[in-house]
Amino acid sequence: MTFKAWIKTITFYELVVGMRATMSHLLHYKPITMQYPHEKRALPDNYRGMLSLLRYDDGTEKCVGCDLCEAACPSRVIRVVSAEVPGEPTKRYSKEYYMDMTRCLFCGLCVDACPVDALGMTREYEWSVYDKRQLHLNKEQLLAIGDRSFPVREKQLELQHPNVAFFNVAFKHLPQKPD
Amino acid sequence: MTELSLRLAISFVQILAEMSIVMLTVAIMTLAERKVLGWMQDRMGPMEVGPYGILQPLADGVKLFFKEDIVPAGANKAMFALAPMLTMVVSMIGFAVIPFGPDMTLDIGGLTIKPFVVADINIGILYILAIASIGAYGIILGGWSSNSKYSLLGGLRSAAQVISYELNVGLAIVGVLLLSGSLSLVEITEAQAGGFWHWFVWGARPDGFFPIHTQVFAFVVFVIAGVAETNRIPFDLPEAESELVAGFFTEYSGMKFAFFVSAEYASMVLVSCVAASLFLGGWNAPYPGTIFEYIGLEQLAWIEHIVWFAAKVYFFLFMFIWLRATLPRLRYDQLMRFGWKVLLPIALANIIITAVTVYLFPRG
Repeated sequence: MTFKAWIKTITFYELVVGMRATMSHLLHYKPITMQYPHEKRALPDNYRGMLSLLRYDDGTEKCVGCDLCEAACPSRVIRVVSAEVPGEPTKRYSKEYYMDMTRCLFCGLCVDACPVDALGMTREYEWSVYDKRQLHLNKEQLLAIGDRSFPVREKQLELQHPNVAFFNVAFKHLPQKPD
Repeated sequence: MTELSLRLAISFVQILAEMSIVMLTVAIMTLAERKVLGWMQDRMGPMEVGPYGILQPLADGVKLFFKEDIVPAGANKAMFALAPMLTMVVSMIGFAVIPFGPDMTLDIGGLTIKPFVVADINIGILYILAIASIGAYGIILGGWSSNSKYSLLGGLRSAAQVISYELNVGLAIVGVLLLSGSLSLVEITEAQAGGFWHWFVWGARPDGFFPIHTQVFAFVVFVIAGVAETNRIPFDLPEAESELVAGFFTEYSGMKFAFFVSAEYASMVLVSCVAASLFLGGWNAPYPGTIFEYIGLEQLAWIEHIVWFAAKVYFFLFMFIWLRATLPRLRYDQLMRFGWKVLLPIALANIIITAVTVYLFPRG
């Protein structure tokens, strides 16, 4: 042990350095804490939160019961029971629609898969519950989430051909409803 | 009213006052520890109860009071209940001999009492050492009676640690006893009056300034051993969270747990009081006399004395928190090696050197 190291040992030099570091943090106190329930972090624009089902501006559901979201979901969150619209054999809708949000990993693949943009990801994230079963959501609950999170709804395009209504977002060359 | 009952009543009032001051300090410490620790780690500490969380000790107390008292299966119920009481009582009664303020006397109904020390017995420091070692029994009992391996390991570690480091505390004190020639904390403190160069940590003779009798090594040994004896970080092996869950009070909950925690804080306060009295001049100001005396208010000088005593005690308490925020825990062999092979030789050498210097340069 050199003389210098010996002096450092008997004067607790390393200890003093550490104590000085903690003291400087005390004197230059800048907390990085966010007082969560009182102040909330600004969410990024592409935030992927709670899933929801959307409606057109006249209140009809967008969902056409095609099951593509169920096929796209990697963790099998979604279950769709598809059915014909009564009296209109060419149209289908989702008779029942369930989401088990305990399994959802918020990847957004279902939203990408949806051909009619019937699914949306909201900016809600405070969904902790005491009973896990409350996270097994049905169609009415998902529509309600969509209603409160997306107050501005897309217009239903009435002038387009019923056969392509299935893909009503992509066909811009077709006649549009005048504003 | 007979003289005896008056004496008892006065003592009771003194004990009550002292207990409430100590418990208040403990409550302040539980909050201050969390706040200061948070500030040192760029956090905020408790913020929810009251403005800036200042009512947190109250909320903790209410919560612990109404919490379910769980006794583990197979525990020795009597011992399990006795251990926290023993720890608490032992850490509280040590304060009886601590002089909080100057050695003045009051006459009440023909009785002469000392208002700032409950019991000015002539073996005060021995009393504190004896009481402090009983505290280890509470911890060992709590660890053994819980019928849990973590508790038992914590209790055993505590026994080994407290015994090893109490030796260092005792030996570090001897130098001070040589200088003051008394075991009474009041007389030890009075021997350090008249400026900081008369404090035993500096150790000038009563007529000089040169630190011929300095006890600074004893002071360092005492403070380190005191941290170890109160089971604080970096010597918190009996309750090492990452190894033993919570050590000897793993199985405790509710008020029993609160007793253990407040006993730990109370023994911190006790060690701080003893260190302040022995080495930093107790109630004495770091300058000769008091400011109140200079401006002609001798009867109020005790306020200044008490403020100085509180300042010294809180300095030590802050240092406890500061150490906790800085240092990691020692390994068990490091703890033992440091106690027996570093602190003990320093304390022994300090005794010899102090004895020689006191013999060669007597204190008048």
